[in-house]
Amino acid sequence: MRGYRALLLLLPRTIRGPFGHDMEELLRGRLERAPGRWSRGRIWIRACTDVLAAALVERWKRLTGWIYKGRRGGMDRWTQDLGQAVRTLARTPMLTAMVVGTLALGIGTATATFSVVSAVLLKPLPYDEPERLVAVWPEQNFNTAMVRDLQEAAPALETVSGISGWALTLTGEGEPLQIEGAKVSPGHFRTLGVRPALGRDFTLEEGVPGADAVAILSHELWVRAFGADPDVVGRTVELASNDHPRRTVIGVMSPDFRPVRGDPDVWIPLALAAGTPVEDDETWHVNDRVARLAPGATLEQATEQVRAFARGIQARMDQTIQASRVETAAVTPLRTQKAGAVGPVMWVALGAVSLVLLIACANVANLLLARGEARQGDLAVRAALGAGRARVTRMLLVETGLAGLAGGMAGILLSFGLVRLVVRLAPPAFPRLDEIGVDGLVLGYALAATALASLGAGLVPALRASRVDATATLGGAGRSTSGRRRSRLTTSLVGAEIALAVVVVVGSGLMLRSLHRMTSEDPGLDGAGVLVLQPSPPEGRYPDGEAFHQYYAQVLERVRAVPGVETASAIHLLPGTTNNWSFPTFIEGQEVGPGRVIPSINFRVVWPGYFETVGMSLLGGRTLTETDGADALPAVVVNQAFADRFWPGQDAVGKELRVLSTEGDPHQVVGVVNDVRQQGLGIEPRPEMYFTHAQMTWNMSFWVVARMRGGDEPLARTADVREAVWAVDADVPITGVEELSSVVDRSAATTRFLATVLGAFGALALLLASIGVFGVTAYGVGRRSAEFGVRIALGASRVEVLGSALRGSLAAVVAGLVVGLAVASLSSGALSSALYEIEPSDPVTFAGVAALLLVVAAAAALVPGWRASRVDPVTVLNSE
Amino acid sequence: MGPIHPLEFRILMVLTAGPSYGTEIVRRIEEAEGDRMTLYPANLFRRVRDLLDRGWIEECAAPEDADPRRTYVRLTEAGHEVARAEARRLRDLVREAAANQLLGNA
Repeated sequence: MRGYRALLLLLPRTIRGPFGHDMEELLRGRLERAPGRWSRGRIWIRACTDVLAAALVERWKRLTGWIYKGRRGGMDRWTQDLGQAVRTLARTPMLTAMVVGTLALGIGTATATFSVVSAVLLKPLPYDEPERLVAVWPEQNFNTAMVRDLQEAAPALETVSGISGWALTLTGEGEPLQIEGAKVSPGHFRTLGVRPALGRDFTLEEGVPGADAVAILSHELWVRAFGADPDVVGRTVELASNDHPRRTVIGVMSPDFRPVRGDPDVWIPLALAAGTPVEDDETWHVNDRVARLAPGATLEQATEQVRAFARGIQARMDQTIQASRVETAAVTPLRTQKAGAVGPVMWVALGAVSLVLLIACANVANLLLARGEARQGDLAVRAALGAGRARVTRMLLVETGLAGLAGGMAGILLSFGLVRLVVRLAPPAFPRLDEIGVDGLVLGYALAATALASLGAGLVPALRASRVDATATLGGAGRSTSGRRRSRLTTSLVGAEIALAVVVVVGSGLMLRSLHRMTSEDPGLDGAGVLVLQPSPPEGRYPDGEAFHQYYAQVLERVRAVPGVETASAIHLLPGTTNNWSFPTFIEGQEVGPGRVIPSINFRVVWPGYFETVGMSLLGGRTLTETDGADALPAVVVNQAFADRFWPGQDAVGKELRVLSTEGDPHQVVGVVNDVRQQGLGIEPRPEMYFTHAQMTWNMSFWVVARMRGGDEPLARTADVREAVWAVDADVPITGVEELSSVVDRSAATTRFLATVLGAFGALALLLASIGVFGVTAYGVGRRSAEFGVRIALGASRVEVLGSALRGSLAAVVAGLVVGLAVASLSSGALSSALYEIEPSDPVTFAGVAALLLVVAAAAALVPGWRASRVDPVTVLNSE
Repeated sequence: MGPIHPLEFRILMVLTAGPSYGTEIVRRIEEAEGDRMTLYPANLFRRVRDLLDRGWIEECAAPEDADPRRTYVRLTEAGHEVARAEARRLRDLVREAAANQLLGNA
């Protein structure tokens, strides 16, 4: 409906104003009455065509009314010209279809791309005064006390709110649900300037432990789990996390509310006892901060204050906060922060698609030039009958304008489809995905693109065709000179097309090579054939770590017994996800003391058999086994990156390390395993440690990993494995069932998506440019067929004729190639933020693109060139 | 004056029953025409706008309980005249057709 409302903007106000609401109401009614998907689709198409057609007629009337304003007999003339234009376009349906189709492709793709750019980068965030919202020092983890202290230390920030991802379980409302929640400062929603649609916001008092057993629900959860019951506000529900088993629902957000981070279904307050100093606060999970700038405060002032705060806190806690992070502490506009790495790439994509549109325009200009040529006789007659140059130009412009408008309208329709496709293909982590759509701004862009494209493609051919020498043309002598002039123009247009196409294809080539590099990177494990799923016991079901250990031990025993399962084990954080747990670690051979930073090392807790199940390899020592029990010596396995960094050139096996403090028993390194790209395919492995749950018995949820026997489709066994898990405890929700390889693969999703989009643009550019080359060669061959006939009659070989036919267009192609490569090498740096292990000036890509374009262009030229060499001299000479 | 567009005549006929607004005009025409005519609202409202421009219909006050986003229109005196003239023209046309045995022996 939002798209339709935007489409209505195309109608003049005299219709949209009084009847726009009625049109929406009618469409909604029809859609509701429609029996199925197909008829709904038909209704949509009909409604859009209706509006586009009405808009076309109205806008056309207004445009021509404006062109002819004040002229005597203006209305008559425009009706004449319009009628003439429609007749001309209808007389050459193929050509008209080519023009309209090419423009529709160009405008449609550009509009769809712009709609993404607009949603990701241009549209203000859906909060109150969004330009004052900023992200604070995103690289650093905070604790709750830091958020509180920063608020006081930075007067340029009116309010600061911390955000922390928080898992909860909901029981007692039907099926047990695993829920993604967010812990936020009590002032979070006030910082954003939004309020719950139902109930109330958090109060400041609820930011204190004990008073914090309250929750605000997302609209979605409210509908899904509570049947949209308005009386849920005030009720106490079994919404459990590790601090409270039950919470009172105090509010429900509106369906339009867009969370700052992720897609949480529940918000609960970040609580902190009054007066807790930063050093004593253990809530180091406040990963994100959003703040509102004080009125009149600038980003620079806020950054300065945040940096001063960072220096102070680092001086007090030099073991927790790295000094290197202090100097990068900054505040950035929340919008930029949300767009992330995708932002710069989207500008590149918009640039690329604009080039594609230019190529389309050049093609259309070429088609129109050819038609102008064919109509010289017709135009000469008009000129001889007294039509002035202005009149002829106007007539031709009316034609192009009409074709352009049709192309633009078709392009807008196309963009609706493309936008839906983009939204479907985009990875879920793509910024502001749900805001992408066609709206007024996007339509404005489409109309501007249409107007510029029609004018750009039509003006030169119209001026050229109208420059008719009636006597010469009618006398039959005009053809060769103007033909040569047009041929030069056409050839340079094709050269330009090739140059533009090179730039676009280089961009897509670089992205595709990055994607290839990234996905061919060894993830460090073999996820194919490994089923993963997460049984998460609800809070309170198992009182302590020991009970958790018993539960998962039974689960693994049952899962291993499922037919088809070869081995099974468990890990607390799946590879390929960005979550991290880390310990300050005291490592043998590393000095400790004032001024030395204690390294914080990532770790994962696993069960025996994990490395074998996911296909990691042991590089030295042994793996963790059942013998590493609670009473045995504490054992740890490290990865290669760990061994290389802290014990280069030494055998890591047998070394010792301590976590959290220098007290207590050390962990002995019993084995070294290969590196795994835990944070995603594009990210270098970091030092890591693996502990076994038997020796680190916390109450934590695990991901069960099960390798299927040779060739078994893992997902086919889902039901059996689920049964096995539920046989231990039927009240435990199971989430995240999939194959491990898809989890790992997903970390390349954004790169894959961008590569797909740019790849499609590259293909389109290549297609349009080759059509251009084909056209110009075919035209040249047609014009010179008499010449070729004579030369063949005089004994020239077919190869010589072929060479002569291709020379002109291939010269243009080579010139275009050279210019294009030069421009691409200057501009490809814009992509660097999205490239992975590929230089923007990657010689392989450049050489490959040059070769590809040469081959494609040569093939496009060869088809009509071949015809030239097949010319039958007798036929040709007879027709002269 | 030549015959007016059939759709315009339909709109005028709906409004002879009293003031109305966009959605209702469309529904009434659809009821009357059944499957004989597919209505395209944007194009229909273009016609309504043209009728407003020509002064055959005019905007009028909405009933008190009406949705404020609706625009109500009603026939003007000129509109009545046009509709009556068109109806007479059609009646004469049908009589002529009947005289030519186009309507069978009824």
